[in-house]
Parts: sequence; C-alpha cells; structure tokens
Amino acid sequence: MVVARMEHPKVLNLSKMRTIATVLFGALAAVSCGGASANARPPATAASASDVDEVAAGLTEHHRHHHHGGVTLLVALSLDTLGISPEQRPAVEKIRRDLHARMEPARAAQQRLAAVLADGVAAANLDATTVDAAIAQVSAAAAIVHDAATDALNELHTVLTPPERAALVDKVEAHWSVWQKANAEETDPANPEGSRLAMLTTDLGLTQDQVDKIRAGLGEGMKAVPRLDLQEIATHIQAFGNAFRSEKFDAKALTGANGANAHLAGWGAAHLAHFVEAVSPVLTPDQRAEFAQRLREHSVHSNGGNE
Amino acid sequence: MSLDHQTGMLRGFACAVGLSAMLAATPGCVPFIGYDDYPPDAYIATTAPVYFEGRPMYWYGNRWSYREGGRWNHYDREPAGLYQRRMQGAPVRHTYEPPRGRPAAGHSGGRPGGRR
Repeated sequence: MVVARMEHPKVLNLSKMRTIATVLFGALAAVSCGGASANARPPATAASASDVDEVAAGLTEHHRHHHHGGVTLLVALSLDTLGISPEQRPAVEKIRRDLHARMEPARAAQQRLAAVLADGVAAANLDATTVDAAIAQVSAAAAIVHDAATDALNELHTVLTPPERAALVDKVEAHWSVWQKANAEETDPANPEGSRLAMLTTDLGLTQDQVDKIRAGLGEGMKAVPRLDLQEIATHIQAFGNAFRSEKFDAKALTGANGANAHLAGWGAAHLAHFVEAVSPVLTPDQRAEFAQRLREHSVHSNGGNE
Repeated sequence: MSLDHQTGMLRGFACAVGLSAMLAATPGCVPFIGYDDYPPDAYIATTAPVYFEGRPMYWYGNRWSYREGGRWNHYDREPAGLYQRRMQGAPVRHTYEPPRGRPAAGHSGGRPGGRR
C-alpha cells in the first residue's frame, strides 16, 4: 500500500528554508574562510614547520659550540638576518666584519683550545695544565671583546633606523634564549650529561657501558666547571637592549659587558674541556680519531658563520 | 507540528544564517586560527623581518606577527603591503649548522642583511 505523505504548506516552506539556510551557511563560511585563507596561506616558498625545525636545530647546535665573543657574538650573529635595505648593506657589512675582527683573539683562543683537546684525544693523552691554560686564554680574550667593539657598536646604532634597532634587540634576546635552551641540560647540575652526550652516542656508536662510564666521569668532572650566572648575562642583555633602542647610545656605558662576555665564553670553554676529558678515556682508537676530527672541524668553523 | 515549534525552528535558522554572516565579517576567520602560534626564538634569530609601519614583522604560522610593548601581536587580516612583500618571495633564512651537528663546510642560508 502506498501512503501518500502529506505535508502542511508551512512545513514545506520550512523545508525550503532549511535548505536555503544550509546553503547560505556553507556559502558564507566558504567565502569567509576561503577569502581569509587565500590571503593567509603562504606561497609555496614560505617557511614550513620542517624548515623551521631544521634551521632551529642547526642554530641550537651552533650555540652549543661557539661562545667566544659572549654577548657581542650574539649581536654579530643578529646582523645575519636583520633585513636591512640595499643602501645600508655596505655599511652594516663593514661593521659586521669589524665586530668579528674584534672578536678574533677570542675566536683564536677557542680554536687553540679545540686543537689542544683534539690532539689530546687523538693521542689519548690530555694534559690538564695545557687545557687549563687554553681555557684561561679564552676567558681573558673574551673579557676585552666589548671594549674593543664599542666603536663598531656605536656606529651600528647610528647606521640603523629605530625599527631595525628594535629588530636587532629582538634577535639578540632570541639568540640568548636559544643559547640557554641549547646549554640548559649542561647548566643544570642535576643533568650533567646533557644532549651533547646523546648526540655523541649516536655519532660514535658508543656502547651502553661506555655511556655509563662517561656519565659517571661527567658527574665528577662538571663539579670543576664554575657555575654560569645566567642572571648576569640576562641583566647585561637587557641593559644593552634598553640602551640600543634609545635615540642615544654609547656602548662604553655598558659596564657589565666585559664580565658577562668573559663568564659566558669561559664557561663554554671549561664545559667543552671537561666534557672531552670525561669522554676521551673510554673511547676506542677509532672513536678517538673520529671525535678528534669533529673537534677540529668545529674549531675551524668557529667563525660564527659569517665568512 | 505546532506553529510555535515552526517559529522556533525559523529563529534557529535565522541564527545560523546570522552566525555565518558574522564569520564572514570577522577578519581572518578567527575560529580557525590558533592564537598562541607566535614565532619561536629560533625563528626570530634565523629569519629576516619585513619592516612595515615602523615595525619588524615576521611571517609565521600563516600570519604576520610583530612585537608591541614587549608582547607579540598579529594582524587578523593581512595588509595589502605585507601581502605584496610576501608574494615577492620566501623569508630570508640563515642556516648556521646542519642539524646532525657536523659543521658545514660553508654556511648556507640568507644573504647577510639581505632584504626580501
């Protein structure tokens, strides 16, 4: 039996209205979101999440190995991506080279330390006196970086526009934040092995027994590394930022700069040395050769990425 | 179906249409955008900004972000000037080291100080 379904005229109207409302909702939402996404979607060449991760990992690794100029190095690195105009480029490039030239004694000291460590690892004979002297040279060289770089920093302030100065300060703060994350485990006494050991474990194919021995050695060795006063560095960076954003800037007035640079570079040097001293004795000859090669590569490359 | 019920349904449909209209009028289709997606430090440190209206801007997470008074802010709707800049090419990035830790023979990435 066929039952004819009778609908009241008003119900029919409602049915039509439901259809209309649904279509309208969909159409409006599509127009709204489609229009927004057409503007919001990046072009094919824009940075993707994976790009960000890879570049971030590279920067983290960089900050794990290079400390020689202290905060001045962070300023110099910030010039790499300041986005200045073509007209400004020659002047800023000259300042960037000048900054790196002023940091050269500290970079060379860091390179000497790496060479001492690499030679010691390769020969299975790390001389503590020589290593300590190399660490002291890094710290001493970093302590005079700021004084040597004040003219370049003042010139940089003059060359940049206020928005560019603000961008530079943002970048210095961002580099400092990344530096802290990169070295967080190693500044934390509760976790002395840090991610550097994890990376080495993979790269050199360390056995679990080797890892355990290194970890034990690190626990003892790191006690000799002076603690880094992060607040001292943060205070200096804040002082630099406040001053650099201002209309008038005099780098000579930043009295905490030399101490901050020396402590940052000195901590980095001491930490690297004690890490190597803990790792070296448990390596096989092949692993020592590979480890020494890696140290040499980083020392040659320790120009801050700006050549 | 009672007339009251039908009237209620009509009101419901009207609300749905109204909500759609609000979505259309809302800049950037807000419900589909996360608000905590500001550029991370590693992105700021490795990416050249675009200068617009006296501020450095970073294109990240499908929107332009900028610092204002120590806080990150963003445009809900992309200004035409920034849209044009974005269409000119990808942000200049600087790669310091490959992620596996072995130093690069030479550094790749953006032109130092290059403008997009």
